[in-house]
Amino acid sequence: MLRLLSSIYKELIVLIRDRAGLAILFIMPLVLILIMTIIQDATFKTVKESNISMILVNNDNDSLGKAITDGLYESNFFQIIERIDGEKITEEKAKELVAQGKYKIGIIIPERATEAIRGNVNALINKSFKSFNMPGMKKRTKKSTIDITIYIDPATSYSFKNSVMSSLKEFTSELEIQMFFKNFSQALAQMIPDQQPIEFESFETIKYKEVYASKTNDEILPNSVQHNVPAWTMFAMFFIVLPLAGNIIKEREEGSAFRLKTMPGSYVTVMFSKIFVFLGVAFAQFILMLLVGVYIMPALGLPQLEIGPHKIALGVMALASGLAATGYGVALGTIATTHEQAATFGAVSIIIFAALGGIWVPVYVMPHTIRIISQFSPLHWGLNGFYDIFLRGGDLMVVLAETGKLLFFFVLMLMVAIVYNNYNRAK
Amino acid sequence: MSEQKHIIELKYLTKYYKGASIPAVDNIDLTIDKGEIYGLLGPNGAGKTTTISMLCGLFGPTSGNVFIDGMEYQHSAEKIKKIIGVVPQEIALYPSLTAKENLTFFGHMYGLKGKYLKERIHECLQLFGLEKNANRRIKTFSGGMKRRINLIAGILHKPKIIFLDEPTVGVDVQSRNVILEHLKNINKEGTTIIYTSHYMEEAENFCTRVAIIDKGHIITEGRPKELVTSKEEYTDLESIFLHLTGRALRDE
Repeated sequence: MLRLLSSIYKELIVLIRDRAGLAILFIMPLVLILIMTIIQDATFKTVKESNISMILVNNDNDSLGKAITDGLYESNFFQIIERIDGEKITEEKAKELVAQGKYKIGIIIPERATEAIRGNVNALINKSFKSFNMPGMKKRTKKSTIDITIYIDPATSYSFKNSVMSSLKEFTSELEIQMFFKNFSQALAQMIPDQQPIEFESFETIKYKEVYASKTNDEILPNSVQHNVPAWTMFAMFFIVLPLAGNIIKEREEGSAFRLKTMPGSYVTVMFSKIFVFLGVAFAQFILMLLVGVYIMPALGLPQLEIGPHKIALGVMALASGLAATGYGVALGTIATTHEQAATFGAVSIIIFAALGGIWVPVYVMPHTIRIISQFSPLHWGLNGFYDIFLRGGDLMVVLAETGKLLFFFVLMLMVAIVYNNYNRAK
Repeated sequence: MSEQKHIIELKYLTKYYKGASIPAVDNIDLTIDKGEIYGLLGPNGAGKTTTISMLCGLFGPTSGNVFIDGMEYQHSAEKIKKIIGVVPQEIALYPSLTAKENLTFFGHMYGLKGKYLKERIHECLQLFGLEKNANRRIKTFSGGMKRRINLIAGILHKPKIIFLDEPTVGVDVQSRNVILEHLKNINKEGTTIIYTSHYMEEAENFCTRVAIIDKGHIITEGRPKELVTSKEEYTDLESIFLHLTGRALRDE
């Protein structure tokens, strides 16, 4: 016991006196979590909230062009740019500006678009009322297509483009229906004596009610903070692998490990003292991240982190994640022969674990094979457990499986370190 | 079981590293008596460190036996580790800890504690002229001061046997004299010292017996004075060393 306590005390002093290292351990994850949450917050907002600048070139000068222009202005989805330096933007200029990346989207309404849509309405009316052989009916039957060109900056991300396009399509299709009924009713009024044009009124017959399924009655609303704090906290906690592996390698390089191995008592005691201290650091990081989510993020205009009622489950998950990370650090520090090896392999492997774990892209949208591989990522287990608590209202029983997997990973990593150490001694 | 008149006994000690076709240590037979200062001398790559490592229990031999005070590591590793002290060639200390903190930590590792440990640390620091620097961090120490603390960390628990790997490398004459003088005093109290060095003159004056190792074999062994007088062409230990191991440069 004396050896373990003395080792823990020594590790603590070494850690506390390395002020730069200590700052990196706490400030870097804090900066990471703040930046990532602010950035990711944008993707949780609707296109409307983002207020993206968009070029609009209306060459129609009739009711369709006017309706789209007015509609876009009224929607407040986008900041509409029609003129630059007082001059009306041409289609060529719009294409050039979008190609230069100055604007993400440019919409071009072609000439005579209204005329074409009226022609289409008349064609439909002709077809519908052909058998009535009514007087004053125009003989036009040919349908024409209206091509509204949308220029998109190639550098625009696929998901962003899709979200803008779907908003735009939703908006223009509603406008098209309005136009269609308006013209249809006008045409009908022309054909039928004493018939007044019908006032078209848009109304939604089907409404969607979104309810987030949660185990608790208190609904926790998913938002950028609820998603990002657990995700990036897991990521940051795993980065403890690097200083821990570095500590083990340094001890070996400086000869202290050699001396300790010639002393009574097991070297495993020394390793456990490192695990204990770095687990404490990981847990402190976790608490710090939660405090940032609760107190700092709202001050930056982000939603406040809702910790929920299952604090014991949260503590257990944090400890299990910390143990998995420290176990991985011990294995890495034992196997890697240089700081460079540990730093490169450690950092890249954590990023791979994080990618597979669904930190950036949700696992459910990944290809089937990757989805299977992701089941073996400790960051996936950790993230899933935290989502169970933060978003699904899960309690300790719900996260037991994930906790078990993380603890198994910890034990496995320790076994790897011990076996490798014994193998190395036998060389 | 070996007879206990020898504190260290190596029997047909052989070590092949994994994948190596030539042994690092080849069939070494050696006995060291209690109270001796025994020098293991040899060029780089001769097998000194491998032999010392096996004596310290860092790894086992491929074949043969190591007896320390009549015990073997396979059966009595903990008991052996309590009676040996190791002073590695590297400064095996924590640079961000003070001298006192380092010695307290290593003392605890040897099972020392409380008042006894405090007094022992004070005694050793005083002995090696470092008492005024007890609360300074190791990273602020000179090379000689670090060497002395490195040595104290290995003798704090008053071991029966001390293994010293190049204990005076890179230190000034004053520090070297202090180190060797105190080691001789410790030896007079009955501690056996096993020592490796590249300084032949130092070994000649310090050791009661030396073995010159090359290519894993002991090529000669005996009291320094007897070895020097054994042949006319030998003028000192260095001349014997060069005669037996050659003048060609040795890399690791």
